[in-house]
Amino acid sequence: METSRLPLSSSIRGKLISAGYTSLSSISSVSSTDLARDVNITESEAFEILKMANQVTCSGSSSLINGAKNAWDMLNEEEALPHITTSCSDLDKILGGGISCSDVTEIGGVPGIGKTQIGIQLSVNVQIPREFGGLGGKAIYIDTEGSFMVERALQIAEACVEDMEEYTGYMHKHFKASQVQMKPKDILENIFYFRVCSYTEQIALVNHLDKFISENKDVKVVIVDSITFHFRQDFDDLAQRTRVLSEMALKFMKLAKKFSLAVVLLNQVTTKYTEGSFQLALALGDSWSHSCTNRVILYWNGDERYAYIDKSPSLPSASASYTVTSRGLRNSSSSSKRVKMM
Amino acid sequence: MKPRSLVSQSPTSLKLTTGCEALDACLRGGFPCNSLTEIVAESGCGKTQLCLQLSLRAQLPISNGGLNGSSLYLHSELPFPFRRLHQLSKSFHLSNPNIYADHNDNPCDHVFVQNVHSVDHLLDVMPKIDSFVKSSRTRLPLKLIVLDSVAALFRSEFENTPGDLRKRSSLFFKVSGKLKRLADRFGLVVVITNQVTDFVESSDGLSGLRIGNLRGLYSSGRRVVPALGLAWANCVNSRVFISRSGDGICEERREDDESGSSSVGRRDRRRFDIVFSPYLPASSCEFVITREGICGVG
Repeated sequence: METSRLPLSSSIRGKLISAGYTSLSSISSVSSTDLARDVNITESEAFEILKMANQVTCSGSSSLINGAKNAWDMLNEEEALPHITTSCSDLDKILGGGISCSDVTEIGGVPGIGKTQIGIQLSVNVQIPREFGGLGGKAIYIDTEGSFMVERALQIAEACVEDMEEYTGYMHKHFKASQVQMKPKDILENIFYFRVCSYTEQIALVNHLDKFISENKDVKVVIVDSITFHFRQDFDDLAQRTRVLSEMALKFMKLAKKFSLAVVLLNQVTTKYTEGSFQLALALGDSWSHSCTNRVILYWNGDERYAYIDKSPSLPSASASYTVTSRGLRNSSSSSKRVKMM
Repeated sequence: MKPRSLVSQSPTSLKLTTGCEALDACLRGGFPCNSLTEIVAESGCGKTQLCLQLSLRAQLPISNGGLNGSSLYLHSELPFPFRRLHQLSKSFHLSNPNIYADHNDNPCDHVFVQNVHSVDHLLDVMPKIDSFVKSSRTRLPLKLIVLDSVAALFRSEFENTPGDLRKRSSLFFKVSGKLKRLADRFGLVVVITNQVTDFVESSDGLSGLRIGNLRGLYSSGRRVVPALGLAWANCVNSRVFISRSGDGICEERREDDESGSSSVGRRDRRRFDIVFSPYLPASSCEFVITREGICGVG
């Protein structure tokens, strides 16, 4: 809202505007003393202006503190945010529709449980075009362990394109024009792959991401596989490690909010010595566990792989089974009878 | 900092074939470059056989399933099996004479052997590998590093106290990080062997923690677990497991009685399993070890 709409005398209004206070939000964030000095009016006059501005602001929908939003708006915004499907509908269901954008999600589990598979699957699925209910975005894949295999990514990408083609075939009566334009090769081209060989490289890359994403605005997911690997060596000073890691976590959170993209951090599992016995826990310690908004733990239950929501501010804790097939992540066969008809 | 293009390279990464069709099928072409593969097995299952065979096959041209490169064999279990390598190299030379004919050399010339007796020694050797690859005056560039075995390096030196264990796992990540960096930088195949320990049920159930496709690993009829625990399992890209079947010598004798000259008893068969890998599904096959090396059976 403009300052000119405030019921003020024209001289004061003129002074305000010439001093640069053209919008209401610019007034609401200064104190009366500052305003009086800047605009060259008495402090009581400035106080009156602020009071007036506040009244107008409160009756309107804009905010008192610069940049703050009310919870209702945020809820609406959040519901409008898309989710990235995992290609396993059971897993999507417990995640509230998939990996949510503008959040940092940590996924951890033992070696061989499928962390990298989820990572590759997400970097492919984020590219599903909007016509097919996807995001039509691109992916950044930060590989610290060397587990990303191009041939596997290609296999998953091919399966993804096939599924879309099948879907178009089925929906042919409804959409005539939509043909699958994507080729598996394009999918690979839209994954920005970084191989990181030390923790200094990792820190440097994370610092660089802001700039990189500003130049590549359609990046919708950042996957780090794994956040842990380089931080489990060479750190004698654990306090320093904690500081470095929490700074990195903050950066990821900022990126997620700023560009409304999903950040997925894959983590390893370690044994933790508590109360006289060893227990399984995600690596990097207790203070790290505050760093992510959502936390998903992958585990074996008999011969089936399960995912469990360990921490999330908005999702109930629940678990779901999944399998890793040659085509990528899918519902586990025992639950296939529950798959709803499209 | 620029992302690497995934399209410019060939979609299937370069692989080092084992020379055994069954094994290569399980591995979808062989041991991959830029990656760290671990072979877990109890002693006498053929870990070293397989590694020796790989270090020879790396010299084959790429069109024949090799890497057109030499290999570096880091061994920590004494003594190094020179005789066996020599034996294998003779038959290898005979079947691939044209690689060596023009240069008047021998397969053994392209297998570099380095003894490593402790973790510190290994960490000492590693930076030297770097300069060895870069300033190599050998005919074939280094393409394969074998570490046989990682367990022997770590199993003796450390106590079972929390402090020592923490130090040990930090070293795992250091060793693995350096090997992975070498693999990535020079496009190497890295193969590491690991021993097993007998499975002992513990109260917290962590020793039986399932890692990978198999619920439990069984060899010679006993349940075993890979040495060095969970922390080390996080350090490798892929893990394969070689085992011997447990059914005893009796069966072997019976087979001998029937055929008279059957040299391949049930007990000599080895089973090969993919435990976990970012690009391989769970699969398995069987092989036997012959004079010429590893060879798959039905």
